[in-house]
Amino acid sequence: MTTQVLSKPQQKARLRLGPIALIVLLALISAGLIALWSGDPYALNILTYTFLFAGLAGAWNIIGGYGGQFSLGHGAFFGLGAYIVGSLYFNQQATPLLTLLPAAAVAAVISVLISWPTFRLKGPFFAIATMAINEVFYALANYFDDLTGGPAGLAIPFKPAWENLIFVDRSSYALLMLGYMVLVLLATHIFTNCRTGHYLVAVREDEEAAAAIGINVTWTKCVAMALSAALTAFGGGLFAMYIRMIDPPTVFTLAETGVKFALLALIGGAGTLFGPMVGAVAIVPLETYLRGYLSDYRPGMTLIVVGAVMILAALFLKHGIVGALRKHFGSQP
Amino acid sequence: MTPILQGKQLVKRFAGLTAVDGVDIAVQAGEILALIGPNGAGKSTLFNLLTGQHQPTSGEVLFEGASVNALPPHRRARLGMGRTFQIAKPFLGLTALENATLGALQKHASPKVARDKAYHSLVSVGLHGKMDTPAHLLTLSDRRRLEVARALATEPKVILLDEVMAGLNATEIDRALDLFKTLNQQGMTFIVIEHNLKVVRTLAHRTVVLDHGAHLASGTPNEVLNNEAVVRAYIGGRAK
Amino acid sequence: MTTILQLANVNAGYGDAHVLDGISLSLKQGEILAMVGANGAGKTTLLSTIAGLTDCTQGEIAFEGESIRGCAPHEIVARGIVLVPEGGRLFPFMTVRENLELGAYASKARAKMGQSMEAVLDLFPKLGTRMNQLAGSLSGGERTMCAIARGVMSCPKLLMLDEPSLGLSPLMVETVFDLVKKLSASTGIPMILVEQNIGDALEMAHTGAVLEHGRIVRLMPASELLNDSSVQSAYLGL
Repeated sequence: MTTQVLSKPQQKARLRLGPIALIVLLALISAGLIALWSGDPYALNILTYTFLFAGLAGAWNIIGGYGGQFSLGHGAFFGLGAYIVGSLYFNQQATPLLTLLPAAAVAAVISVLISWPTFRLKGPFFAIATMAINEVFYALANYFDDLTGGPAGLAIPFKPAWENLIFVDRSSYALLMLGYMVLVLLATHIFTNCRTGHYLVAVREDEEAAAAIGINVTWTKCVAMALSAALTAFGGGLFAMYIRMIDPPTVFTLAETGVKFALLALIGGAGTLFGPMVGAVAIVPLETYLRGYLSDYRPGMTLIVVGAVMILAALFLKHGIVGALRKHFGSQP
Repeated sequence: MTPILQGKQLVKRFAGLTAVDGVDIAVQAGEILALIGPNGAGKSTLFNLLTGQHQPTSGEVLFEGASVNALPPHRRARLGMGRTFQIAKPFLGLTALENATLGALQKHASPKVARDKAYHSLVSVGLHGKMDTPAHLLTLSDRRRLEVARALATEPKVILLDEVMAGLNATEIDRALDLFKTLNQQGMTFIVIEHNLKVVRTLAHRTVVLDHGAHLASGTPNEVLNNEAVVRAYIGGRAK
Repeated sequence: MTTILQLANVNAGYGDAHVLDGISLSLKQGEILAMVGANGAGKTTLLSTIAGLTDCTQGEIAFEGESIRGCAPHEIVARGIVLVPEGGRLFPFMTVRENLELGAYASKARAKMGQSMEAVLDLFPKLGTRMNQLAGSLSGGERTMCAIARGVMSCPKLLMLDEPSLGLSPLMVETVFDLVKKLSASTGIPMILVEQNIGDALEMAHTGAVLEHGRIVRLMPASELLNDSSVQSAYLGL
């Protein structure tokens, strides 16, 4: 057998921006610039929420999309982050700059403790277990009222200062949340390109085959879950300082948090880098606008419209928007 | 000499069915052992006991002389046991190259390096032309080849192949035999489950025959394939 | 002997992938056609095209004189064309009996279920002892027999078998091929047999066809094909 000089396989430059991501990014940037320049608080609010949810959906995407572990209870970590940062600020005047990372770390540890036993549950049962855990956190937040303010919640006083992460002008919040979204994108990119990130995809595809080539399935899932929970809690902490009024329903309601993070990622394209961002851009402005426009008209209308959009997405966009566009253009966003 | 992989008095019972009934099996480093027998004889179950997918009801599995009964499959894989499955399970949503890369990552932590090693595994099984094809679009025999490539990419000391020749034509079988013989010359140990008697005769140093979960015969391929009991239980009239 | 199946210049594939290229063949009552060829040559695709599972993009397929191109798979089964797919594809969590009963799902076959079941158990006595066992727990040879039996339950007028010897021990291969011969002799049902086990398949068949890159490159009486030197070197390694 002759030895041939064989060409090396092409290195896929994962961060190369394909047409889809480019368009979305340009749209975001233009919208952002317009909003920032106009100073319109309503537009900036939409922008802020879009970036925040893009980051939260992206955090979910790490364990839910790439990992295939369908958690619907990530609201538990979101609320945990919000309460840790919020109540430390409220009670101890601790600056969020110092408490965000510890809050993320706490969420990471707790997520591993919870998931280790629940990872052995299959598909829908795992999802239900995560929802149950979300509800437990909801109940705990109501119960430990000296820490959390109970059902009344915490009203965080308005003391604008950059070390408090409280700002007078909304454009600063928008930029802050943009930074969060970029953080999540970077973390996703780095993680999915390292060995454990690759192993995570194998685990998603076939756990038995993954173990047969030496992958520690449980460890891989736990690492991904820890990263996902940490980033989610981080977003929760930022959210607390934005909305400055956190109570159990606001941060623990399944439909508004855990389920939503998953849905945004799925609609945009779970398991892709820019999918969650695309999903957030597709749904959050629409939903926020409709909520303002329609709820005077008829309460609950928003939920009907958004619900219909999500059903249509489930029927026609099986691999999310990114998946559908990839099929059409055959490229790699 | 201590066998590199050994099963001592392995028994496996599933609710009323004894799939493996007190089997002793040992393979020396650098040997090619063929495991043959009728369908339902317990061959794949025996593989599962050796690689850890099943825990034995009783008995011991030893790798390089040390007991591995307590080790889960991924730890045994990291010790140096590679395997394929009777129904090939490549990662269907991933390309051939991605599949092989995941195998190579075991010994090479950098994805870039792993990808290069994976490419060479694909070349050795002849799948490099389809390296960007998603596995679910590959034919059954290509999927089997991919599973072999992925297992080889983990650079195992012992590789357990479960009916990898099924469905291949004569030319493809010859190519596979060349590959395995080359790897064996470089020191890799093989245990192969096969129904293709030509492969058993050409490739194996030793053969073990299982029937109804128990050891029926062992020896060189020629000895075993001429054994009366084996012919009756397994080969029938057309020994090729 | 009447021609029961006719293919004229058939092209077929999956989406953009063009697999079959100008296939023409005909099959008579009582005939066994063995189809051989390398992996990826299109043998399985040919069977699934006749069964209506793969789109026929060009050409004509006629069964009992009527065109069946474009018919839905269940209509094709109702006409009596039955495919036993590669690996058998039994329903693993259903019993042998339930799998066999499902074989007689189409209404015409359902009416004759009692008779068919008797005939099938006559042909495959070993299945009789396994009727209440889950199909997934059968050994390889028993699975293949059950799959073929399920095919027979559909009262086929044409039976297509995709690699029945796959994964079977030499003794089992002999048993299965003997059964197929017996089936053909007693019922006269025409069959198309796709096989890698070329020696055995060509010994049993009347006609042999070689498929290469989606085209039929040889079509002749099986005994002649067995002695054809190019086939011997390419496929039998001789």
